[in-house]
Amino acid sequence: MSAGGPTPPTKPQVRALNCPHCGAALTLRSFNNAVTIVCESCHSILDAKDPNLQVLQQFKASADEKPLIPLGSRGKIRGTEYEAIGFQRRTIHVDGEPYSWHEYVLFNPYKGFRYLTEYNGHWNDVSTLKALPEQVPNSSPPKVRYLGETYRHFQTAKAGTSFVLGEFPWQVRVGEADVVTDYVSPPRVLSSEKTGSEVNWSMGEYMSGKDIWRAFRLPGDPPEPIGVYENQPSPLTSDTMSIWVAFAAFALALVVMMIGFDLTADKREIFNGYYKFDSNKRGDASFVTDEFTLSGHTSNVEVNTSTDLNNRWVYLNYALINVDTGQAFDFGREVSYYHGYDSDGSWSEGSANDSVAVPKVPAGRYYLRVEPEGDPGYGVTYYTVNVKRDVPQYSLYALALGALLLPAILLTWRTLSFEHMRWSESDHPPIKWGNDE
Amino acid sequence: MIRILYIIYGTAVLLGLGVAQYQGWSLATVNEVKNVPRSVRDNPGSYRSVYSAYHHYTGGK
Repeated sequence: MSAGGPTPPTKPQVRALNCPHCGAALTLRSFNNAVTIVCESCHSILDAKDPNLQVLQQFKASADEKPLIPLGSRGKIRGTEYEAIGFQRRTIHVDGEPYSWHEYVLFNPYKGFRYLTEYNGHWNDVSTLKALPEQVPNSSPPKVRYLGETYRHFQTAKAGTSFVLGEFPWQVRVGEADVVTDYVSPPRVLSSEKTGSEVNWSMGEYMSGKDIWRAFRLPGDPPEPIGVYENQPSPLTSDTMSIWVAFAAFALALVVMMIGFDLTADKREIFNGYYKFDSNKRGDASFVTDEFTLSGHTSNVEVNTSTDLNNRWVYLNYALINVDTGQAFDFGREVSYYHGYDSDGSWSEGSANDSVAVPKVPAGRYYLRVEPEGDPGYGVTYYTVNVKRDVPQYSLYALALGALLLPAILLTWRTLSFEHMRWSESDHPPIKWGNDE
Repeated sequence: MIRILYIIYGTAVLLGLGVAQYQGWSLATVNEVKNVPRSVRDNPGSYRSVYSAYHHYTGGK
């Protein structure tokens, strides 16, 4: 897209002309700012600066393209009313595949030209730059800076004009090709178009189809966007950032809670007993402990078992029984400890000690029923049973941390997937995972 | 919107954690039994633990 400044007419009016090739009526909407005008009937490109409208080129359109914004439509873009006066289709080829987008030339007699581009339902509001962007030295992929913002190279391709309609403020020709280079910083894109030694820069800003439809009061709904466009802003980027900030605050609160509960928890030893279990002895090995009192609010009871096991196991059936209510908390604990040495070196498995927290035990008088089991022939095992009240459970903090992390990770993954989709269409695709090549 | 939902969710998680810690929740598997007879105190062998029939690991490499 190349354009000069507009020449505002003293009295805006539409000029009525006829095509010198087919005689069809032509409408000139941009007054003497148009350089070329295309006849809709015979697809002749005419010299709008020539009083006789000299035919510059004729092209054959395989199928007539209908602009989504009909030429002559007027709409407000950023507070200024523009009229759609020109339309072209441009095509690039990547790996032999053609990719086409559409460009609309908009005109306001006082503000000049502006452009809209559309690709697969993605729209950009484009205007030419008044200053040149600066190349960022030694950047890979290449970057440019413009008005303090850095833009990353997205794609360079040779774009050919494959269809034109209406008026253009430059010498448009079907078949002509420019080298188009895009640099992105969503929601903006900087584009350079190089024709010979001439380079034109423009800036596009992503717009939704709904905004375009509203601006031009177009009937129906705009086409749904397909895929992720090069400068399409990620709908999740700001949410992801704010969720990580919120996560940091929650993690801090979690640490404060952990310290608070740790300082205020009772953690008092209620009972301690030392026992002997002989697995060679026949008969019932079960016994009960002395009574002990659990005080305070409903809380957990930690039962710790310490043994002298050595390449053996013991299974302890525990029941924490309330003397007064008959309520029992029944649980079994296997304690096993094995170790040795083989061709891989020394190894060990399990532990001679065990700890379990019995949840939500009300206050009251309790005793433990203990029934040890073991393989006959193991002999004597000495073990200690230690009971503590109201012991903080760090596994719950780990669970809570996981629950807080999960949404943040999922959202980050979705954001990264969005960026992955964006850049997979670029000259700098992300590394492909798997063997899909 | 997502941020607000996350703040509500995170607050609920922390409140749940506070309640769990205060009431002494744990991840241990414990079977609660009602009305255990007082006679167990004098005759421990009369109590039948639900875990006693479990297969026990005999371990070792």
